[in-house]
Amino acid sequence: MFTEPLDVLLIFTVTTPVIGWVAYKKKYRKIQGVYAALGFSVAAYFLYELYMEVAEKGVVLIVGQLPFNPPLGACLEIDMLSVFMAFLCTITGLFASVYSITYMEHDTGLTEYYTLLLGIIAGMTGVVFAGDFFTLFVFWELMCLTSYALVAFRKQRWEPIEAGFKYLIMSAAGSATILLAMSFLYGMTGTVNFAGLAASLNGTAPNRWLYVTLTLIIVGFGIKAAVVPFHTWLPDAHSAAPSPISAVLSGVMVETAAYALIRILLLIFASTQPVWQMTLAVFSVFTMFVGNSMALLQNDLKRLLAFSTIAQMGYILFGLATASLSGLTGSLFHIMNHAIMKSLLFLCAGSFIHQTGTRDLRKLAGIRQTMPMTTIFFAIGAVAIAAIPPLNGFWSEWMIVAAGIEAGMLPFSALMIINVLFSVAYYLRVIHIIVFKKPTSMSKKAGGAPLSMLIPTLILASLCIIVGIYPGPFMAMASQAAEAALDLQAYISSVL
Amino acid sequence: MIPLVHYLAGAIALYTIGMYCLASKRNMIRLVIGIEILINAAHLTFIAFSAVRGTDPLGHAIVIMSIVFAGCTTAVALTIVTYAYRHYGTLDVRKLRRLRW
Repeated sequence: MFTEPLDVLLIFTVTTPVIGWVAYKKKYRKIQGVYAALGFSVAAYFLYELYMEVAEKGVVLIVGQLPFNPPLGACLEIDMLSVFMAFLCTITGLFASVYSITYMEHDTGLTEYYTLLLGIIAGMTGVVFAGDFFTLFVFWELMCLTSYALVAFRKQRWEPIEAGFKYLIMSAAGSATILLAMSFLYGMTGTVNFAGLAASLNGTAPNRWLYVTLTLIIVGFGIKAAVVPFHTWLPDAHSAAPSPISAVLSGVMVETAAYALIRILLLIFASTQPVWQMTLAVFSVFTMFVGNSMALLQNDLKRLLAFSTIAQMGYILFGLATASLSGLTGSLFHIMNHAIMKSLLFLCAGSFIHQTGTRDLRKLAGIRQTMPMTTIFFAIGAVAIAAIPPLNGFWSEWMIVAAGIEAGMLPFSALMIINVLFSVAYYLRVIHIIVFKKPTSMSKKAGGAPLSMLIPTLILASLCIIVGIYPGPFMAMASQAAEAALDLQAYISSVL
Repeated sequence: MIPLVHYLAGAIALYTIGMYCLASKRNMIRLVIGIEILINAAHLTFIAFSAVRGTDPLGHAIVIMSIVFAGCTTAVALTIVTYAYRHYGTLDVRKLRRLRW
């Protein structure tokens, strides 16, 4: 109905409660986690088949059963960019679900947990597959609703509840803003199909209402993408959520908002391009500075990583602001690297929390002696995200800086280089604390992380190294996705 | 028939009221109602635009779907408010200030 990968994810979402009931009857608590991991693997396999189809045809259009064809009816429109993003979502979901099997074993409500985890990934996959605003909004709300519940999942403590409420209010206001922007676009053109909107808006000179709509779109998606004046929910929500959920939220959910901005701004707002390029460039520099300078001040490990996510979103948006092929390639490559590195860092942080029960960096000092493997993986991730050359973060950040210079945005590129140096400072501080400092009483008591928590981090850490040493094929994938994003004619002509 | 611009003015007024409510109110349930007002502003513009186009069904379909999501959001929000009341013993959102920086 919605293409196989999305169907599989939705079917697994609604059947997880049945498996949970069986698990409850048989007193076997780990079966839901295995079932969720199975769902993600099957979805990843079907996604590969979809990728082959897209590689052959360029754009795959999926129309519903009703006698309404697009641009009137709802549709899914899948090109290389969608497949690229969907692949990242599914793989991150797979790692998070495998990791959760041990990490969440002492929590209650595991059935709900895995249902929501499958639901959030299904929502994100739907967002990236959507071919019109209506479909995008439906899946967007699926993603938002599940993420509210997941952030506030450990409801017996005050912190997730407070963070969840803050997040819900800001994000729901953002969704309402997106809906208002959608209604203005509908009023201007009479359609909500992306291709139809692009065809009717791109040729004409922009009027006042288009600028109002552009503002609403940037604010609405910017709240979810943690652009700086609207970023305040992110550090709370990401640090209060359970660690695998932080990895999903930070690794792919924030990037889904960046995807929506890439798709909508390039496709629908092409006539106002100089305006949004400048706006996004200015916002992205503020985002980098606030994210990095706040991360310098943190003593809470997960909060530090969350502020670092804000900074990385600044880099990604700056790549979009150049609106050139090399800039977008850098952005998408960085989205991929960020999904790998930030999931790795949050999962390692989760292992530390699971073994010691604290998130305070000062209490985690010298944990290398008791958890050597996890510390090595964490250090690899931290070095990678600080853009030290042989690892993956360097390539994408360098591509974005170079694209900024190419596009004539030299001052912004210079500011981004300063920010990258900032991030080296605080990540080296973290590595110094956990590796070289004398162990505290808490870190002495910690035992090594269990196997099902080590394996995902091991795979992610090796991915960091592999992408760093052989960036070619991965860069080619990102570049194909960027070409698909910039090829407006192919996207429009497959519908109209 | 009332001209379109009146509906748009009404919708923008509703949006402003909703944002004002989010910025100034202290009671958590009022904040949730503020979200509802924001969403209803968007619904009003959708219905107005679809009426202008000779009752185009697309706008109605979107609004009905969106009402469902607004209901879901409110349900989740009120659940969180209930738990917040259990933890803090108050509905005053300014007391939820332990998370800063």
